[in-house]
Amino acid sequence: MEKSIFTFIEKCVACKGCEIACAVEHSSDKTLFGALADNPRPRQRVRVEAAGAYSYPARCQHCQEAACIAACPMGAMTRDPDTHAVYVDSHKCVGCWMCVMVCPFGGVSADPVAKKAHKCDRCPERTAVGLDPACVAACPTKAMVFATPEEIAELRRQATAAAAAGIATTPVASSVAAWRTMKGGA
Amino acid sequence: MRIVIVGNGPAAVAAAETIRDLDGGCGIVMVSQESVPFYSPCPLAEYVEASVPRAHLFLRPESFYRDLGIETRFGLAATAVDSAARKLTLGSGAAATQLEYDRLLIAAGARAVMPPLPGLADTPGVFALKTLADAEGILARLAQVRRAVVIGSGFIGLEAAQALVRKGVAVTVIEAMGQVLPQMLDAELAALVESRLREHGVDVRTNSAAQAVLGGAAGVAAVKAGGVDIPCELVVCAAGVRPDVAWLAGSGIATAAGVLVDDRMATNLPGIYAAGDIVETNDSLGQRRVIGNWPNAVNGGRIAGLNMMGVERRYRGLDGINVVRIFDLPVSSFGGRDGERSLCRKEGGHMRKLALRNGRIVGGQFYGDVNGTGLYHELMNKGVDVGSFEDELLAPGFGIGRLMPQPPLPLRRAA
Repeated sequence: MEKSIFTFIEKCVACKGCEIACAVEHSSDKTLFGALADNPRPRQRVRVEAAGAYSYPARCQHCQEAACIAACPMGAMTRDPDTHAVYVDSHKCVGCWMCVMVCPFGGVSADPVAKKAHKCDRCPERTAVGLDPACVAACPTKAMVFATPEEIAELRRQATAAAAAGIATTPVASSVAAWRTMKGGA
Repeated sequence: MRIVIVGNGPAAVAAAETIRDLDGGCGIVMVSQESVPFYSPCPLAEYVEASVPRAHLFLRPESFYRDLGIETRFGLAATAVDSAARKLTLGSGAAATQLEYDRLLIAAGARAVMPPLPGLADTPGVFALKTLADAEGILARLAQVRRAVVIGSGFIGLEAAQALVRKGVAVTVIEAMGQVLPQMLDAELAALVESRLREHGVDVRTNSAAQAVLGGAAGVAAVKAGGVDIPCELVVCAAGVRPDVAWLAGSGIATAAGVLVDDRMATNLPGIYAAGDIVETNDSLGQRRVIGNWPNAVNGGRIAGLNMMGVERRYRGLDGINVVRIFDLPVSSFGGRDGERSLCRKEGGHMRKLALRNGRIVGGQFYGDVNGTGLYHELMNKGVDVGSFEDELLAPGFGIGRLMPQPPLPLRRAA
């Protein structure tokens, strides 16, 4: 399967670096200073929320059966055929907010200025050149990981096996890169 | 196998696409009273105000029906179903033709309610705003319109009123009930909507039932409501919509307000299914209702298509969701207003309300800021007991994170 963003909430320290990186990535010149000069200011598409004893960088889940796509009466909510990410075609969006009404995760919001649906697009320009989405790249504790489900499952198996054997485990998220290197993969 | 679909709206198209996905070879025939390809009726008011171009109403390419191998019978009304012979009748009298089917989907939608008022049906310049033809009729007449009366203050009525204001028309909205959006909001939120409409120049008259449409062959001259004549050159009748079930009388298909279907979108007769605005079925809380909206149509159409092809999938129920913009300010609601208690938060001219019963959310109303509505709606659908965190529900920052399962403390090396 294609890669998606996995979150390990026990590692999130609520630094909100992902929020800033997201806003910068979606600004006109993709730099922090440029983003501050943008009018309107770019808005982040990830929001760090309180999650009991932890915190959670909430965003669109790019659901396989996405309620927002079914609910969009303009055909504006679209799935990228290559990356399978769900994104808004803002040219078609009329800001009717049906997507906001049906997203069970609160992953789509109403942009009050642009009057368009606003959500994570999983950074198509970055992933097209092999980079991780901006939020993942910015996360200092690797609470977010851009990987395939198979990669995550394999790492979980290794972690479980190691724990069963009484070996100190490497946290799953931080070892994805090491595991990919081991496998000789990307 | 031949599938016949009555209708060409979102439920019909979602079903046709689902069926074609599962079976490349079966015959699919789509029958529609309208002669235009599949279009979205949701932005018709925006089309009238010219913020949405006509081309954006059509959500599929011109080659859609050809590409999917769908035979179309457009401009023809389905008039009867003979379920014993598995035949659908199109047209009436000498021009009637019959279409054989193996499976039939009834997705004929709803019609605008036209109350039996004197002059309403036959005076030129009176329109509903339900179909593309209605919108084009309004547009064609707009040049001679200075004043308009909108009958009904549901979301279609209010969308029509805004579109006409933006076209420079002086608009009066008349509503028989004591408040606008009576199906959607309580009196407190409706009052906010009313004052915003008035700020934007709409003359809102509640407790004002339409009595007659005055005028003649040249066109409408006034609407009589609450004993007063309101002069106008255009009337938009937005008195609600109703499932189009009259033609099914005598077919043996069980109907009440709409066509009754189970959670597979199957009617009481074998091989006959229904989806979209025409159905009456359980909502997500198990109450039998008619709720016409785009998501219900698409999801119901898909479920119908799957079950018609022998793939069993059950529908979790209709979603009672509404969202409308009042001069760009979003207003939404879901579920009911009949809670035991309600939570309310007012902030910066915005208002959010949740209705609770037995520790569960049973409905919500939002004025000005609708973000997060979907999460509350899902908590209602899932029947989540929110009692232990109800004081957090409307606080800023509440989100899906609050509902995350708490991971155990990190593993430590065995001592």
